[in-house]
Amino acid sequence: MLLTIGRTIKGGWNNFFRNGYLSVAAVSVMLLSLFIISALFIIVLTTDKILENIQDKVNVSVFFKASTSEETILRAKEDLENYSEIKTVEYITKEKALENFKKNSAGEPVIIQSLEEIGENPLLSYLVIQANDANEYDVVGKYLENASFKSDISRINYGKNKEIIDRLNNIVAEVRRIGLGLAGLFSVISLLIIFNTVRITIYTHRKEVEVMRLVGASNTYIRLPFIFEGIIYGVVSSIISMLLLFVALKTSQGFTNRLIPSVNMLSLYLSNFALIFGMQILIGAFLGTVSSWFAVRKYLKI
Amino acid sequence: MIKFDKVSKIYRDDYIALQDINLEIKAGEFVSIVGQSGAGKSTILKMIYAEETPTDGQVFFDKKPLDSISRKRISEHRRSIGTVFQDFKLLPKKTAFENVAYALEVCGISKAKIFEDVPQILEIVGLGDRQDEFPHELSGGEQQRVAMARALIHKPLVIIADEPTGNLDPVSSLEIMQLLLKINKLGTTVILASHDRDIVNKAARRVVVLEKGRIICDDEKGKYKIC
Repeated sequence: MLLTIGRTIKGGWNNFFRNGYLSVAAVSVMLLSLFIISALFIIVLTTDKILENIQDKVNVSVFFKASTSEETILRAKEDLENYSEIKTVEYITKEKALENFKKNSAGEPVIIQSLEEIGENPLLSYLVIQANDANEYDVVGKYLENASFKSDISRINYGKNKEIIDRLNNIVAEVRRIGLGLAGLFSVISLLIIFNTVRITIYTHRKEVEVMRLVGASNTYIRLPFIFEGIIYGVVSSIISMLLLFVALKTSQGFTNRLIPSVNMLSLYLSNFALIFGMQILIGAFLGTVSSWFAVRKYLKI
Repeated sequence: MIKFDKVSKIYRDDYIALQDINLEIKAGEFVSIVGQSGAGKSTILKMIYAEETPTDGQVFFDKKPLDSISRKRISEHRRSIGTVFQDFKLLPKKTAFENVAYALEVCGISKAKIFEDVPQILEIVGLGDRQDEFPHELSGGEQQRVAMARALIHKPLVIIADEPTGNLDPVSSLEIMQLLLKINKLGTTVILASHDRDIVNKAARRVVVLEKGRIICDDEKGKYKIC
């Protein structure tokens, strides 16, 4: 059994190298498909990242009445932190708020001056709530409306950019959907093309299959080298495609960084290297195996 | 050894390839099957190595009916038969050595045994020094000798030679023929299909003449003839 596997792997390996341009053709077709699928995957990852960055900038601020004790605010914070939709709650005391305010208006002496004239801190303490997802702010709003500390709330600030962010969110979701759809479509197309390419490869081998049958090779023994050959196509294509992707991202780095300053596509690729590579090898090997399996079938008279 | 019992083969469009064939070949015999193209020579041979099945009747090999062999066992059955063809049927991407070794590899023979047996058999067919050449680097006669070596490597009970000299010059043909006679002398049954008058007469053994799918002559010490 081990002997058979060893021999058939070697057979597949030899076929791959001795087939010359047919191997090149099969690998190029597979390479192209894998490259497109991976590129789409990276685009989807990038849009996800953009969305994530934008979401980090959305928040809800809950301002408490000046008369509210710190204890109440901290209890409210604790309450809110228990909701699964809420990612973080940050407590900003009115002293901190004043500090921030002064820092922000450092270049405007009029404001600083009028603050000094008031004498006391006119700002309110508040909680900054961040939800896990931009869509969940509606739910958070409902929580606040029904909260036990509702009477202590002075006002709720739902972030100025919420509407724009909502629209962006929709666009990103759309890009994502289209990206995944295209990746799916390309998988199907490449499956068909690769299937055909491998079939042509095996068609040129049909005489050999006949000879193998004649000298008493079992069907499994005939089939395995072709399947290994298919797997080699997949693996070689994935490796080349990974290299190509790296080169493409590296050369376009300046451009993409200017276009999307918040996301570095190259580092995104590098941090997902194992995932993308693994995905490619799996897809490649799967495509190679399935197409070889069906293509040899015909000549085995099964 | 091999027995055809009222065997007929009819292809789809009512084309009769073989009709009512009764033929018995004993172990150690050398039988030449002659006849024009399309007479049914190849069909008879294909039935022996179970590439074709009869429409009617039965073929026995070593007393076992071939139609009872399961698909999985067919490859094992073929290992007891060596085949040689007009077009050599070598694997083009394998060297002479690898072509012969392949027949052993498929049976799961160990590497050590392969490295012992294959050079020996290539030596016997006179290709000791050309083991690493690919088929396209060899002449027709040499390719056919590689095919002979491959057919002989697992010491088959029967050698089936379907027009083995069809693509060869007279000198090479003679060499192949002498090789076949030598193999037969050592005890292997040889079944030869040919329409080469000189070759068949040279053998001067049993001759079965086929015409339009029927056996019309079967001479123990026959000569090539179209009755």
